Amino acid sequence: QRFMLLQPPSSVATKVVCLTQVVTADELRDDTEYDDILEDMRLEGEKFGALVNVIIPRPRPDGELAPGVGKVFLEYADTDGSTKARTGLNGRKFGGNQVVAVFYPEDKFGQRDYEG
Amino acid sequence: ETGSGTRKRKSRWADEEPKQAIQLPDFMGGIEFDPEIQALNSRLLEISRMLSSGLPLDDRPEGARSPSPEPIYDNMGIRINTREFRARERLNKERQEIIAQIIKRNPAFKPPADYRPPKLHK
Repeated sequence: QRFMLLQPPSSVATKVVCLTQVVTADELRDDTEYDDILEDMRLEGEKFGALVNVIIPRPRPDGELAPGVGKVFLEYADTDGSTKARTGLNGRKFGGNQVVAVFYPEDKFGQRDYEG
Repeated sequence: ETGSGTRKRKSRWADEEPKQAIQLPDFMGGIEFDPEIQALNSRLLEISRMLSSGLPLDDRPEGARSPSPEPIYDNMGIRINTREFRARERLNKERQEIIAQIIKRNPAFKPPADYRPPKLHK
């Protein structure tokens, strides 16, 4: 039991890759920038496998920060694609930010829980 | 073009992983997995372990040995024609040869401090 707790969650491969420290809330408020970022993510993510979905949580219109803002979620059809993406994107630079890529729990992602 | 329809712009992704720049050159990464080098390395380790273990190097049973010759001593008074001495000499020689072979295949290999390159003349 103790050993399980010590295992970092990112070491278990899921179909969802979460990129952290990628985008700022300000960039996401701007519709054009948001679209650009979405497209950049899709184009790059497709290189690693069958990309099913790209989710980039945006700040709420009232200015409140929604959970998961700053993260980018790439969902793949299989763990083969997500594993390649995690390895390939981790440490890469996106807009000057060094990307940290981790696996994200599929159940949470399915429930639109992006806080993790 | 400044039209907003089909924007042609640069991706925010940096072109290349900086990690790849510091990858080892092919000949270094590959040579460690060369089965011949691996065999040489493991034999080298085995010999080094045997030499430093202090255990008897000749473990043939008493009956399997040929009769001992008259003792010969070196100028320090140490007997040199023992089985133990010959076994040690043999291992040392093999060890030096293995190191020489590894160096030949991999010039970047760092030999142990006590390695002496083979002399070209006697």
